[in-house]
Amino acid sequence: MLSLRRRLWQAAAASLSRRCLSVRIINERNIELQPAAAAAAEERLIFPGVWLRDNCQCAKCFHANSQSRQHDWDKFDTQVRPLQLQLNAEQQQLQVRWSDEHESSYGLSWLRERSFEPQAQREYLQRDYRPAMRLWAGAQFEQVAQRFDYARVMSEDAALQQWLQALAVYGVALLHGAPLDAGVVRRLAERVGFIRRTSYGEEFVVQAKPGAQNYAYLSTPLPLHTDLPYYEYKPSVNILHCVVQTASSGGSNLLVDAFHIAERLRQEQREHFERLCSIAVNWNDIGSEAGQQFHNIWRQPVICRDADGAYTRINHSVPQRDSHFTVPLEQVQPWYESYAKFVRLARQDAHSFKLQPGDVLSFNNLRLLHGRTGYDDTEQNSRYIVGAYMDWDIIYSRLRVLKRQQ
Amino acid sequence: MQFPEIWLRDNCQCKSCYLPQTRSRLPHGWHTKVQVRELSWCVDTQRLHIDWSDEHQSSFELSWLQARDFAPANRKRYLSDCYRPEPRHWSRQQYPQIQREFVYEELLQSDEALLQWLQQLAVYGLAMIRQAPLELNVLQTLCQRVGFMRRTTYGHEWHVSAQPGASNYAYLAQPLPLHTDMPYFEYKPSITLLHTLQQSDSPGGWNLLTDAFHVADLLRAEHPKAFQMLSETPVDWADIGSEKGLSFHNIWRAPVINLDVHGRYLRINHSVPQRDSHFSIPAEQVRPWYEAMALFVRLANEQACTFKTTPGDILTFDNLRLVHGRTGYDDTDRNVRHIVGAFLDWDIAYSRWRVLKQSLGYNN
Repeated sequence: MLSLRRRLWQAAAASLSRRCLSVRIINERNIELQPAAAAAAEERLIFPGVWLRDNCQCAKCFHANSQSRQHDWDKFDTQVRPLQLQLNAEQQQLQVRWSDEHESSYGLSWLRERSFEPQAQREYLQRDYRPAMRLWAGAQFEQVAQRFDYARVMSEDAALQQWLQALAVYGVALLHGAPLDAGVVRRLAERVGFIRRTSYGEEFVVQAKPGAQNYAYLSTPLPLHTDLPYYEYKPSVNILHCVVQTASSGGSNLLVDAFHIAERLRQEQREHFERLCSIAVNWNDIGSEAGQQFHNIWRQPVICRDADGAYTRINHSVPQRDSHFTVPLEQVQPWYESYAKFVRLARQDAHSFKLQPGDVLSFNNLRLLHGRTGYDDTEQNSRYIVGAYMDWDIIYSRLRVLKRQQ
Repeated sequence: MQFPEIWLRDNCQCKSCYLPQTRSRLPHGWHTKVQVRELSWCVDTQRLHIDWSDEHQSSFELSWLQARDFAPANRKRYLSDCYRPEPRHWSRQQYPQIQREFVYEELLQSDEALLQWLQQLAVYGLAMIRQAPLELNVLQTLCQRVGFMRRTTYGHEWHVSAQPGASNYAYLAQPLPLHTDMPYFEYKPSITLLHTLQQSDSPGGWNLLTDAFHVADLLRAEHPKAFQMLSETPVDWADIGSEKGLSFHNIWRAPVINLDVHGRYLRINHSVPQRDSHFSIPAEQVRPWYEAMALFVRLANEQACTFKTTPGDILTFDNLRLVHGRTGYDDTDRNVRHIVGAFLDWDIAYSRWRVLKQSLGYNN
């Protein structure tokens, strides 16, 4: 996909040199680049002058080794204007002389990649920043949950990229054929970058532990939840490697796309949706691990969105919701009703399946809810899962590097 | 004291509703329409007993209820005492009053000193630690005293000294303008720790630090349009490079001033070298944004406090809130500067702060 678009750009750039390319200053401040005098208005590229000056690529303004802007911003003149333009079709360069006596030169392909046209910006963001998510209902799980071969993901960059892309878009992806040793999640995380450490360490083992301090370490049913909602900096992706699976009828995984549930609520029951977006809940975890005590609290609504209304995170965990509820009294009853609605919708939509030894389940912990049905835990009938977390910052970085290598 | 019925039912402390060993609410089957059938107060045990319409019975201790009272004053007290202390913003003139120094060895030995340091960082975002040994493992020891270091693409600890041909701008001897570290991460490291091992004898190498929340306050009060521009325009922050053979390409899109739904400051992003040339906003917003940014930078420079660390100092500050920089220095064989850096996360630091407050009896 990327390489195809690259080729198209190259073709466009090549044709530019043959066609009559023109450039002019508009409104004294901006620079307009037009492929041909008669070209349609949408083919014109307009660049704000102040941005171009700020992004001068000369050795004085830009440090190529560190790919960093280095001109003295404390003295930057935002009133700077382009005075003279020159197009070098041979070298595919635009040269600009500025009102501050400076001269800059920009490659035409560099400019095209930074077009301010809305469509071009959308394409850039989806390709280089983060791919668009596709939400799904539980009934669609089999179509959206892609399966990859562990050995290929470990050895082939293309397979690694496909796994990470599926994880970004759908929030869930499965690997199969992993060896049954305890080092699998570490090797996978290090293939991407590194493990995200939490109060519980780097890797964690999910198996029934009598007297456990964490609710997940019991063999009782584990209702739908997200992990660690009590962190501001909540771990992004959960990797669960099934080493031993119980032979009893329980121990199945439950998964639901909570962004899909939020979207249904927004469309069907706006009032409930608004409450779950606006009322802050105290999520907490008090305990100790390896002798180190912790007391985590993070206050945030169940449904979190950014300034554009895009979903950024879901918080939900019945055991880790604090009894301290620091909101005005009159908001409490309505909040409970909305929350009950959300939980019911999620439960009805949850897809159930059972991991087999050698399977690795990876999912977006900011987006999906997961749970587990109860199981009988005896000496002959145990269940052993090794888990670890990775962060989206690290995963997206790896995905961008892989796409560039293509 | 006031309590909503449904909240009391949800937080029933009986064995079938609550598991003390994990301090967790258990999965329940009650309905949101549940009501109190009968209330009684037992004077001897100081407990509230409730008979519910779903045949369930609950009992609550007085002190447990007092701590969770929904009255506004109690909610306010809980948030500042137990959740996070209220930050206090400061100007350059106020710097001498708010700055505090701690002794490294005392932080290791005394829980009280450790708590005071974390409190200072939480409230003012800046604290200086003195008399640390000139050893490489100092930050490791200090971070373990709190919890654990935050790892990034650059590893656990990093070294700031002039490196010719460096792939990161901070590793050069030129002046380093005010910035926050790693704005290109969604999960930006919270607290920066800088341990000075060697300091340049040249006149340069001074630290610059500004409370950017104070700068945001100034903009909000005096230049509301610039404030709006900087708090609503997403900027592409980026870092492309490699460390120890592993390539990375980090991008995070967010405004310079980040607000929560209530308009409170969450985070400041600013770094001239790490602001991407890709700027994914409508062209007509570009110039007004640049003008607002130039104003922010001018105010941040005006509000910067300056000092020069000496070997054995550990400078610690809130990287979500403060912008920091350094004046240039002459780097020669005989005139070197060597700083070790590391990060901590607020999740881990606040957890430690709460545990310490509890164990030292501050919340009783």
